[in-house]
Order: sequence, then C-alpha cells, then structure tokens
Amino acid sequence: MARPTAPVAVGRGPSLISQAGDGRDIALAARGWRLKDTPAAWLLIAPVIVLFTISVLYPLIETIRLSFFNIVGLAPPSFVGPANYINLFADPAFRNTLVTTLIFTLATTTISVGLGWTLAMLCAFAPQQTLPFRVMIFAAFGISEAVSGYMWIGILRPDTGGLLNTVIGLFSPGFAHPWLGDTNTALWAIIVAACWSGVGLPLMLCFAAVQSIPKSVLEAAYMDGARPFSIMRHIMVPLSLPGVRVAIFINLLGALRAFDIIYVLTGGGPVRSTETVGYFMYRESMTQFKLGYGAAATVVLLVAVLVISIPAIIQRTAGAR
Amino acid sequence: MIGRAPFWTTALVGIVALIWIVPILGIVVTSIRPPSEVTLGWWRLDQVSFTLSAWQRVWEAYPLANAFWVTAQLAGMATIATMLLTPAAAYAFHFLKFPFRRLLLIIIINAFVLPQQVVIIPLFQLWRELGLIDNFLSVLIPYVGMSFAWSIFLVKNFLEDFPRELIEAAKIDGCGALSTFRHVVLPNTLSPVFAVGILQFLWTWNALLLPMLYLRSNVPLPVLLTRVSGTYDVNWDLRSVAAIVTTIVPLVIFLVFQRQFASGSQTRTGAKE
Repeated sequence: MARPTAPVAVGRGPSLISQAGDGRDIALAARGWRLKDTPAAWLLIAPVIVLFTISVLYPLIETIRLSFFNIVGLAPPSFVGPANYINLFADPAFRNTLVTTLIFTLATTTISVGLGWTLAMLCAFAPQQTLPFRVMIFAAFGISEAVSGYMWIGILRPDTGGLLNTVIGLFSPGFAHPWLGDTNTALWAIIVAACWSGVGLPLMLCFAAVQSIPKSVLEAAYMDGARPFSIMRHIMVPLSLPGVRVAIFINLLGALRAFDIIYVLTGGGPVRSTETVGYFMYRESMTQFKLGYGAAATVVLLVAVLVISIPAIIQRTAGAR
Repeated sequence: MIGRAPFWTTALVGIVALIWIVPILGIVVTSIRPPSEVTLGWWRLDQVSFTLSAWQRVWEAYPLANAFWVTAQLAGMATIATMLLTPAAAYAFHFLKFPFRRLLLIIIINAFVLPQQVVIIPLFQLWRELGLIDNFLSVLIPYVGMSFAWSIFLVKNFLEDFPRELIEAAKIDGCGALSTFRHVVLPNTLSPVFAVGILQFLWTWNALLLPMLYLRSNVPLPVLLTRVSGTYDVNWDLRSVAAIVTTIVPLVIFLVFQRQFASGSQTRTGAKE
C-alpha cells in the first residue's frame, strides 16, 4: 500500500496556493488507502443524505423555483417569470428593507467586533484576572434571543419605568422616550440589543487570536518600554487581524440571517422601519401568504450571503479531501 | 501576562462586564419582588421585600411546564439524532471510497452559509401537503438535516489527525468497514461527537423561527415566551419567571461548556484557520 509522504495535517499552510497543492498530494495518496466498501459507505451516509436533501437541498432549489411563480394563499401557482423580482425592486417597502439590512448588518458587525476586539486586547494584559469578566460578557451569547428580547423590552420601556429612560432621567427629569415605537430610534435600539447578545463571540474569537501572538514579541515590546496603548496599536492589532477576519465574517452571516431579535422587539415596526430582508421574507410569505414574492426576497438574501461567503467557500472546498 | 499588567485595563473590562449583566440581573430581581414595588423599575429601593409568589403562580398562568417538556423532548431528540448520524457519515467521508464522495462532501460542508429563511417556504408547503404541521417531525427533520452542514465538518476535521495505522491494523485483523467504524473509530471520536451534541442541544433549545411556524398546540419555551411577552400586560414578574425558565438550562450548559462552544461556533461558520 502506497504510504503518503506528506504529513497528515497538511493543507493548513499559510497560502491558498500551497493548500491546494498539498490537497492534491493528499488526494493522490489517499486514493491508495481509503477502504473500498461502497455498500457500507452508502449505508452509513444514507440517513444523512436523506435528511440533508429534505431539509437543505430541496428547500434551496424549491425556493429558487417558487420565486418565478405567483402564489397567493391556496390558489394554484402561475408562472410569472422574473415579475416577482421586478415588483420587489419597485416596491418601496423592499427598497427600504435593503437600506435597513445594510445599516443593521454593518452596524452590528462594526460594534460587536470593534468592542469585542478592544475588550479582547484589554483582557490579554491580564488573562487570569479578566476570566470572570469574559464569562460574564460571553454569557449574554448563551441566552435565547427570545429571552434577551424580553429583557430589552424592559430596558427600553416607553414610560419612565424603563431603565434607559430612568438613566437619562437622572440628567433631565421626567424623560420618557418610546425607543421601540419611534421610527428614528427603533432600528438602533434593536442594533444595541443584538450587540449585547453578539459581542461575546467576537470577544472569544479575538481573544484567541490575541493569545496566539508569540509571548516573546509582546515581552520584547514591553522591555523596550512600550505603553499598553502602543502595544495594542502596533502589535496586537496587526498580529490578530487574521483571527478578527473570522469574527467579522461570522458576524456578517449572523446579521444577515437575523430574525428572532427583530420579531421579539418590534415585529418589524413601527411602519416597517425595522424589517431586514430576512424579516421581510417572513412577513410576505408567512403573514401575507405571498409565497412566490417571499421566495424572491429570500433569493436576494441568499445572493448577499453567498457573496460574502465566497472566500470561506473557496477555503472549505479546497480543504475537502 | 505581559510584564506587569496595568490595572486600568482590568478595571475597564470589569466595568463593561458589570454593565453587561444588568439585563440578566433585571429579570432575576423582577421575578422575586412583588409587582407593586417594581412598577417604576426593578432597582427601586423605596420598599424592599422578596417573594416567590410569581414562581408559584406562573405554572398556572402559562402552560410553562408543558412547554418545558416539549422543549426538552425536541432538543433531546434532535441532539441524539445528530450525535448518532454525524460520526457515521464523517467516518464514511473520511475513510471510505465511494462514488461522488468529494462532491457530496463539498455540498454538505458548504451549506453552513445558508440562512434558515431558505427552508421556511418550501418546508411549510411540504408539511402542509403531508399533514405534518403541528407534528414534532416538522421541526426535528430540519433541525437535524441542517446540523450536518457544521457537524460533519467538525467531526471530519477531527478525523484528519486520526492515526491511519489503526485503520490498517484493523483491516489486517479482519475488520470490515462497518466493524472498523464500530470498534476502532467511534470509541475514539467521542469528544468531538460530544461537542456536536452540546452545540446542537443549545441551538435547538433556543430556536424560535421554525417551531413558531410549524408547531401550533405544543410549542417550545421561546415560542411561548414571545406569545406571553408580545403584549403590554403588567405581569412583569410572571413573564420574568417564564424568561428565566426558558433560558436557565441552555445558559448553565453554555457556561459549563463555553470553551467547546467558542471553538465549535467557529467551525460551524466554516472559517477555521
């Protein structure tokens, strides 16, 4: 049996080119040793293939197909070509949704990753002492969004009994603002709530990235008399950047698929000002029963998701051996 | 630690952490104080007394016990199914040779990017035709089916470092493909399978969208919570208890296993460096 000459754990090299090269070597070597027992293989993967087909492949293809049909309620569907897409982009509500999605996605990602990264670098100066604090911040990420939405309803209450209104009331007595009922503030209220839940994961990912910086580099800077702030700015920021890219990507994906927190806090309102594409699709298809129209909106969401995922997909595909 | 840690960095993180648990503290305090004292905020100290009355009344006010049981069943079944099926498939993809192996693998492990919104409409129609609306299967099938996109990637990644010599030794000793899996690979793959189980349990326990759409009479906790907290009623104490009951099990598991969770989420979304 031909033994592979390359070590097992290849394909994690620094560049994509070397990864692809190693991948081919391994694939060639692997051909010799993979057990050939096709019936056993199909037996082992059959349940996975069946469930995956029903719940991922079929819905994916069917959503794309339905987006070319006009389906309202239980009436028989009629083929309408690209009409759903044309209507979608002519629909002011949908165009507004695109803007909302862009603001929501960019704002939550910038704030979550920015804050998580900053905290991660601050934590790196004293990893042991800050461990309980990291757990406290990360805990918010383990809470169901239905529950965190409920907590934020309490904080953002429109009367003077809301925590936010009370805190502001310390400076201007009697302050009461309906944060979730005002089109100017509702989206930002949701963004803050989403960041409260979301900052824990970038914190942990960035912390791991900062921790992976060789201690000798940091110690050398310290010996040279660098202040904490310049250690952060000149060493931690550039050297943890690769790990931070992962956090950014994860947050972008999460923000595009956001649903729960919007549903719980505002239900898309007031006057549809907090609907992202992922929420618009739910509203059109599941509450207005315009299934074809909703499917077209889903395809738009899907395109956005695929575009930001291209690097990750290339990386995974090259690594699939 | 880098040299002598400056105090202000730790203090700053500590202040942020304290702010971060205020919302959690809020529902805990609201749940154990009489509503009359906290109408103007759970932090008011005009009059301070504690009561477990809400914790006793909530079980009659809302079908909370039933929802808890439904959630436990759904999360439990989805977790077991994923934990059973994932290692078998990961083993087949990694150690066996069969037609379309690499193509199937690429499709499955790249599906992690798909948002849940993609399944809503087609499965809603399918379940309606099959009469599966309000049946546990309507959420269990997509929970388990969608989990393979990250779970197989996670376990197969672990198998990359599995010593090939063991497989060859088993082959020489007369093990077939199935018994090699059963006796050699599976017993040594328990740690990533356990990690997959924890992640799947948390995500299915917290899931809101699919059960909200496909289940009607027996709903899990997050759906029940949105039903009772959507209105501006005054039962802040009862709803706070419901919120705590909804999140306590996954929160405790999450805190105990948070290390696996951070690394698993990273793998789930695919960008493993």
